[in-house]
Amino acid sequence: MAQLQIQNLHVEFGGLRAVDNLDLTVEEGEILCLLGPNGAGKSTTLDLICGKTQPTGGSIRFQGTELSGLLEYERARCGIGRKFQVPSVYKELTVAENLSVAQSRHPGMWRALFTFGRGDTATQRRVLERVGLAEKAGVKAGNLSHGETQWLEIAMLLTQDSQLILMDEPTAGMTIQETEKTADLFRQLRGSHTLIIVEHDMSFVRRVADRIVVMNRGAKLAEGSVEEIENNAAVKTAYLGH
Amino acid sequence: MDVLFNQLFSGLSMASILLVIALGLAIIYGSMGVINLAHGEFVMLGAYATWAMQTYFGFSILVALPFVFLAVALVGWIIELVIVRRLYRRPLDTILATWGIGIILQQAVRLGIGAESRFVKGPGILDGNVVIGNVVMSNYRIFVILFSIGVLAATWALMTKTEFGMKLRAVIQNRGISECYGIEASRVYSLTFAYGAGLAGIAGALITPLYSTIPTMGTSLVVDAFLVVIVGGLGSLIGAAAAAVMIGEVTAVFSMVMNDTLGRIAVLGCIILLIRFRPRGLFPETVRR
Amino acid sequence: MTRKLSYDLLAYAAFAAVIFWLVPTLYAYDGFELNTFARYLSLAIVAMALALSWGTAGLLNLGQAATFGIGSYAMAMHLKLRASDGLPDFMGWNNVDTLPWLWVPFESLTFTLLAGLLLPAAVGGIIAIFMFRARIAGVFVAVITLAFLVAFQLLVIEQQGLTGGQNGLTGLAPLNLFGWSVDTYSVGFYYLVAACLMAALTIGIYVSHSKFGLILRAIREDAERTRFFGYNVSSFETMVFCISAALAGWAGMLYTLVLEFASPTYMSVSFSLAIVIWVAVGGRESVIAAAIGAIIVNALEGRLSDVFVEGWNLMLGVTFVLVVIFMPRGLFGLVTYLAGAGSRLRQSRQDSPKTSAPIGSAPHAQGGR
Repeated sequence: MAQLQIQNLHVEFGGLRAVDNLDLTVEEGEILCLLGPNGAGKSTTLDLICGKTQPTGGSIRFQGTELSGLLEYERARCGIGRKFQVPSVYKELTVAENLSVAQSRHPGMWRALFTFGRGDTATQRRVLERVGLAEKAGVKAGNLSHGETQWLEIAMLLTQDSQLILMDEPTAGMTIQETEKTADLFRQLRGSHTLIIVEHDMSFVRRVADRIVVMNRGAKLAEGSVEEIENNAAVKTAYLGH
Repeated sequence: MDVLFNQLFSGLSMASILLVIALGLAIIYGSMGVINLAHGEFVMLGAYATWAMQTYFGFSILVALPFVFLAVALVGWIIELVIVRRLYRRPLDTILATWGIGIILQQAVRLGIGAESRFVKGPGILDGNVVIGNVVMSNYRIFVILFSIGVLAATWALMTKTEFGMKLRAVIQNRGISECYGIEASRVYSLTFAYGAGLAGIAGALITPLYSTIPTMGTSLVVDAFLVVIVGGLGSLIGAAAAAVMIGEVTAVFSMVMNDTLGRIAVLGCIILLIRFRPRGLFPETVRR
Repeated sequence: MTRKLSYDLLAYAAFAAVIFWLVPTLYAYDGFELNTFARYLSLAIVAMALALSWGTAGLLNLGQAATFGIGSYAMAMHLKLRASDGLPDFMGWNNVDTLPWLWVPFESLTFTLLAGLLLPAAVGGIIAIFMFRARIAGVFVAVITLAFLVAFQLLVIEQQGLTGGQNGLTGLAPLNLFGWSVDTYSVGFYYLVAACLMAALTIGIYVSHSKFGLILRAIREDAERTRFFGYNVSSFETMVFCISAALAGWAGMLYTLVLEFASPTYMSVSFSLAIVIWVAVGGRESVIAAAIGAIIVNALEGRLSDVFVEGWNLMLGVTFVLVVIFMPRGLFGLVTYLAGAGSRLRQSRQDSPKTSAPIGSAPHAQGGR
């Protein structure tokens, strides 16, 4: 059975159908890229999966569990992580503290109350070295550059170690080298983690995607491998108009 | 039944004064996000200004109203310029700073004028009552209600029909962009704050014949006015009006059924519940942000 | 982080030395003077309790005085029963002829001590669950807690037969603490209050350095993001409200002992905002700084309000406005800024880029936390 099954999902904002009868299945360990013109409902789909937005109808099942009705933190505990479009790290906390927050295998309140200090620093160190922030562990996140902030957020997702990671434009604002490094890192995650990535940068998508789903006006327009999508007539129409 | 009507009528006159206070607060909060805990002291200043004009110049309340408005607006303008301006990015801190300002104003009046209560005569031409059946309505209270409706209408017109209102709404939506189009946001803020303070001054003038004027009179009024603003929905004029009438009337009815204190406790309880379940107020804006 | 913890422990040790040794020495072990100082110390506890919820989690609780008041009334009820032969005097004046059920268990000291901690915690917890389940935050927390405080104080004043109304509870017996009859004008009593404050600060420092405290700071910055890591934000917020309320109740019990009466003015809006002032002056980010803020403001008030009877409040208002505008992080912010400036100066003298390793320089560059 697929890891994530979305059936008949729809959501309305004041009459506007942002997501309209969407069906989607994602297999464990694959990297799925969501493409589509602006306003196609890509980010909203991620919001619906992680619980930021409640659907008007339809079902989302993750590893057999029905997610609708669960709160954000309960979904996170099921193993769903999320990276937002605007980098959202804790600017007042240091890099190391950010990772400590992300280290959330045991997110219970009582457990936190009886845990003194910063948690598993060895893992934090390893993750920071992997993304090249090891030197900055004691720096406040607010003092990082834009690119470093992106890396910190990716480091936080790695630390959180969710089975399913939702990424909203992870390479926005990155240089070409950084984008390549991100692509490499994502490919290392393939197999052990499932990734759903919203991205506009086609060269990046070509490098990482196992499968592509193209959305338009809230519904699935096409799905398939990179070549299939690049040769799909309906996709061309949606992007270029008639 | 007549008792109920009399109670509802006096509730309505209190509600209309509450409305004028809340309007000023709502404008200040809605436009600049400042929680002005000194607003009650602006009301107090308005009351003392009225008292001073009656005592030293023999002005009736009606004559004094425009002067009171200007005087308190000036105080508000200065306070905005010197203190509040520095705190626009720190909404929680405005609670603290304006509380400090409130203490200063209260103590200044206590030192300058004295702590004992002062009395202001109602305007002579509004003496007397309108009697319908057994319901007795004093002319002055009727005037207060009508005047408050007038203030509400004028404020609404100011916000929607004038160039100033247009600029203010532009600054509320996006200060940065408005400044790019040549709107001087800081000037708009000063004037708005001054206008809100002036309204509090008017409320203070209106309240003088009904309440005794003492330095601490603002403290309880500001809590009520705040609840009106929050219940009405931040920045919504119509919401504030509805909430003021509702709170005024519910207080009046509860006070009759139970007693004044329990009535007030019950109203506070209702308000807490309302904020809990409708945190965006009775009439939230339906814009998707 | 180890650096910061060591700074906190250093400040803790220095503070302990001041209140256990320096203050009694300065007052020449004079019981009367020390009683006055014990009052400041008990107020320091309620200030550090507020710093825990406001400074760490960013939840400005304007109803802190309510939980403080519950603690103080719990203690006063016990002492009143000790002082009365049967029914407390004021009940007779209010035509209450049997001891109300609410009063009965306060015959027991153990119950009283527990109730003084647990009742405030329960009240704080209920309000917190009520607000935080609905994701109320920011200004609305301040408004709801303020409205609750006003209602609560009115209720206490209105229930004359139960609470003594406007007069509060007076004519209390001295506390008999498991055989030790507590003389509030003794040096021993001062040490008791000082020990309570140090214990409260220990809890405060533990909480702010635990993972719990870290998550609270994360919530202060971005509650939404924190939920996506799997943390149940409302349970963290509720817990910090409970801890803060329990500490406030504890402070209230001590305050009743010091002043030998309980009054509804302990639950007034102006008292509650005064607590906020102390914390703002000291610095909301550190429990020790908040405690110091409370002691400084109250000590100044004690000295200056005799000299400038009416002018004192004016000075307090002016100081407070100046602090909020120019020292938003309080004395704590000032100290960390100066310390940061000092070490920047040292570093530039050494003039060696190698010494400015990121980890070392970080806390100074941002002035601490």
